Amino acid sequence: MTVLKTSMRNFFAHKGRMALSAVAVLLSVAFVCGTLVFSDTMNTTFDKLFAATSSDVTVSAKGATDSGETTADNGKPPVMPASVLDKIRKVPGVKSAQGSVFSSAVTVVDAEKNSLSPSSGAPTIVGGWTANEARTMKITEGAAPKGSDQVMVDEDTADKHHLKLGDEVGVITAVGTHTAKISGIAAFQVTNPGASIFYLDTATAQKALVGEPDVYTNVNVTAAAGVDDAQLKKSVAAEIGAGYKVQTAQEAADANRKGVGSLLDVMKYAMLGFAGVAFLVGIFLIINTFSMLVAQRTREIGLMRAIGSSRKQVNRSVLAEALFLGVVGSALGVGAGIGIAVGLMQLMKMTGMNLSTDDLTVAWTTPVVGMVLGIVVTVLAAYLPARRAGKVSPMAALRDAGAPADAKAGVVRAVIGLLLTVAGGAGLYLASVADKATAGSMWLGVGVVLSLIGFVVIGPLLAGGVVRALGAVLLRAFGPVGRMAERNALRNPRRTGATGAALMIGLALVACLSVVGSSMVASATEGLDKSVGADFIIQNDKGQRVTAEAVQAIKSAPGLKRVTEYKGTQADFTPPDGKTLDGTSITAADPTYATDLRVDTVAGKLADAYRPDSMSVHEKFAEAHKIKLGSRISVAFRDGNTAQLTVRAITSSDSVVDQGAMYVSIATLEKYVPAGKVPLDQLVFATAKDGQQDTAYTALKTALHDYPQYTVRDQTDYKQELKDQIGQLLNLIYGLLALAIIVAVLGVVNTLALSVVERTREIGLMRAIGLSRRQLRRMIRMESVVIALFGALLGLGLGMGWGATAQRLLALQGLNVLQIPWPTIIGVFIGSAFVGLFAALIPAFRAGRMNILNAIGTD
Amino acid sequence: MTSAVTIPRHGGTGGRTAVAARARQVVKAYGSGETQVVALDHVDVDIARGQFTAIMGPSGSGKSTLMHCLAGLDTVSSGEIYLDETEITGLKDKKLTQLRRDRIGFIFQAFNLLPTLNAIENITLPMDIAGRKPDQEWLNQVVETVGLADRLKHRPTQLSGGQQQRVAVARALAARPEIIFGDEPTGNLDSRAGAEVLGFLRRSVDDLGQTIVMVTHDPVAASYADRVLYLADGRIVDEMLKPTAETVLDRMKDFDARGRTS
Repeated sequence: MTVLKTSMRNFFAHKGRMALSAVAVLLSVAFVCGTLVFSDTMNTTFDKLFAATSSDVTVSAKGATDSGETTADNGKPPVMPASVLDKIRKVPGVKSAQGSVFSSAVTVVDAEKNSLSPSSGAPTIVGGWTANEARTMKITEGAAPKGSDQVMVDEDTADKHHLKLGDEVGVITAVGTHTAKISGIAAFQVTNPGASIFYLDTATAQKALVGEPDVYTNVNVTAAAGVDDAQLKKSVAAEIGAGYKVQTAQEAADANRKGVGSLLDVMKYAMLGFAGVAFLVGIFLIINTFSMLVAQRTREIGLMRAIGSSRKQVNRSVLAEALFLGVVGSALGVGAGIGIAVGLMQLMKMTGMNLSTDDLTVAWTTPVVGMVLGIVVTVLAAYLPARRAGKVSPMAALRDAGAPADAKAGVVRAVIGLLLTVAGGAGLYLASVADKATAGSMWLGVGVVLSLIGFVVIGPLLAGGVVRALGAVLLRAFGPVGRMAERNALRNPRRTGATGAALMIGLALVACLSVVGSSMVASATEGLDKSVGADFIIQNDKGQRVTAEAVQAIKSAPGLKRVTEYKGTQADFTPPDGKTLDGTSITAADPTYATDLRVDTVAGKLADAYRPDSMSVHEKFAEAHKIKLGSRISVAFRDGNTAQLTVRAITSSDSVVDQGAMYVSIATLEKYVPAGKVPLDQLVFATAKDGQQDTAYTALKTALHDYPQYTVRDQTDYKQELKDQIGQLLNLIYGLLALAIIVAVLGVVNTLALSVVERTREIGLMRAIGLSRRQLRRMIRMESVVIALFGALLGLGLGMGWGATAQRLLALQGLNVLQIPWPTIIGVFIGSAFVGLFAALIPAFRAGRMNILNAIGTD
Repeated sequence: MTSAVTIPRHGGTGGRTAVAARARQVVKAYGSGETQVVALDHVDVDIARGQFTAIMGPSGSGKSTLMHCLAGLDTVSSGEIYLDETEITGLKDKKLTQLRRDRIGFIFQAFNLLPTLNAIENITLPMDIAGRKPDQEWLNQVVETVGLADRLKHRPTQLSGGQQQRVAVARALAARPEIIFGDEPTGNLDSRAGAEVLGFLRRSVDDLGQTIVMVTHDPVAASYADRVLYLADGRIVDEMLKPTAETVLDRMKDFDARGRTS
């Protein structure tokens, strides 16, 4: 009982220091709980949405994907004739059946041809207004669309784009552009995560989306009373026969959820990964805090031992403090986690994803996981310092406490640290020379983990050299204040090492990812320069196909030397070895594509592959199926006939762009696939006449003015786009890593605060003999900056090593240019100095405010 | 009440006034109302330049407070304190810090040295902080006198208690302050090491013309001084010139007896 009492008293006696450690626990736990709550809430939202929108049984045309994605290669959704609807209506157990037409292969624009699609990447859906829709939508303004000139829009989209009744809207599909005026605005009855939805009446939808009357993409079937969904599904399927997809409400919801679920899972695990990093850094903070507290209390602990406390009791009293810290930190963390989840939802709202706090879901497992994780980690982290406390001898009570002697980090530490670092280095080396990606990534993982632990272990030893070097460069300019700061940082290398290591972890990841990211950009840019001969690329960013009219418009633009069409389709391959490969992707392009994309071949010339009844295969495919030049492959095109194609080129697998593609000419494709079934272009490449790049670019943009769904990019745009995309991803990751860095900064604050307390008498003395407040504060800031820079130097060095290794490894996948982003690296290094300054703010302020006489008198 | 104000003397003071520091009607009180504790009660005192002054008195007499106020480490409730001709009462922290740095030397009872700096770095610290170059000749003389020439590169932990205090004395002297304040500088030393340090302080007054004020409760230590001031209940109650250990001890016994009978 006394043990507990002293623990509690100690805890409250050091509230400030405990608060910092508690914040570290809190942040990590909050991040974990926030992630769990957020992803549970997303699931709830989608579940509600899918449950509300699915009818008892849904029949869709064959070719529709699981999640209801309805884009086909010809740019139109797959449909079924009205006769199917009639058949379904007659099935016993069917109360009613409603045919509907939906397509997400659309671009919707306002009168100024500005896109009304969501910015979040959620789909734009245009469909027919039916009774099934009326179940989930409430018309808030105007009326449902009637006739070909009316359209209804969902409220969220209307709000976002300031659409009013009577505004003109253009629906652009592969069929053409359909213009209508807004007749009504409807609100979702459940939370809509972000899709933009437009309704036409069914007949208009059929015409605008498919171009044929009396066809449906889906039939929504309502069961008669007492009829089970599964039973109904069976009877409907039996009646209409194969060739349709029939799903119960449950199945449809499950299928839909699978579509979004995998994306949500990726997000969830990525965020949990970052929470893990934060925990790791938090462990350092906790170890450091307790080590310092134990060191400070040496005399007190000695006294306790002298008057009869057992080692175990001392040990336990420290652990009890840790337990208390863990409980408080985790409990607050769970609460903060829910706050984070709400914050994330608001953030998603800003990017256009609509989430309602009504759906906020906190599973019972969330607080349990958070509490257990927080408490276990805290107590484990405090174990080492607790053991050290138990080893304090009763004699310590009699000795002068003073400042702890310069802890010369032991030889054992040096040996273990060096061994780990060398082993880690060896792992990284093996990863860089690995010729198999799987073995390589294993070595990379081993190398990263071992080198990280190695650096942590030898950190205190490196602290001496690194701090002296930094001091020589930076601190000398500040005279005696700088010198004292340097000496203070060196005073307890273990403490400096551990504090720096916490910062090192986050920064190592930043450095590693920035190296990989910029190498990706550099490699792709080099790949583009080397292999792409075309000046312009035209495509729809949501995968919508390029219509024949648009291609005509492109071709009519003046100043172009050539235009290359590029189509993708699938075919069943039967190579000479007799194995049939179903649904293999095959690319059909104009022969000029050989000039637009310079792919290296290992055999033959790529231009030959565009000759009639010819094709190219890629190196790995050729190896796997023992294909040589002149081999004949039987290719059964989807929606078409089977062709016997001769292999005339084998492309190298070592390319960044279009890796592993197999080519035929469009002429060959058209020979075997009937005219109506030939897929529309995925991409169109255009090349300007010599010296007319700029005019051609403008001409292309003008030519495509009526087709706002397509974007023209020249090579510069394309590279910039690539750079922006990777940059955005990196920024997101840096944002998440900021959490780990914040925890590390708390560690620096903690170390400084404790050092200031430990050195109270020294500070008093220095002030007495004439050190000004400003000089004192500067001294503490310098120490902080040196510690931060020490961590940064180690972290950035380690991270660049990891990044370079990862690049070597990914060179197998075409990432063959190593680019170190020096501006980022140097920026982070300089930023760390500011982090150090920031961390020293409060400790320096408090040191400056100390009363000199009290400070000198402190024991 | 015995006034400790001496008549200003000139001579051997390099043209400066003969009074290095003076206090006029200094009051230092803690708290207010009924619970008010008066540590210094209208104290007037002059510290003669080039003299070694000892301040004595029982615990709680206000002797340390007086020294702290004279040295600009503590503030007064009322009254004035002058260092030479500079009034230090009412100075802002920045000015006070500069004053301590440039014109005052300190020797504390313990923990006088920064553990991270070696002996010579500790000695030159006040000048380093001020950004001044030490006068090398003077520094050599000081180091020589203190007898630490062979230990200048040692860290405090490698020095004995007496050596540490000698380094502290050297630090106080090195910057040639107008006045040195010692707060029981030998309190933590055995008698031999104490005698060494006190002898050294005495010599620095005799040979170098240094002004020293020292708080002590040790009659032997006080006997090294030129003049002893006695404090009781925040007032200066007595003064003794050319003290010896015996006379100081007798005077103290006197006070003790009076204290008990009153």
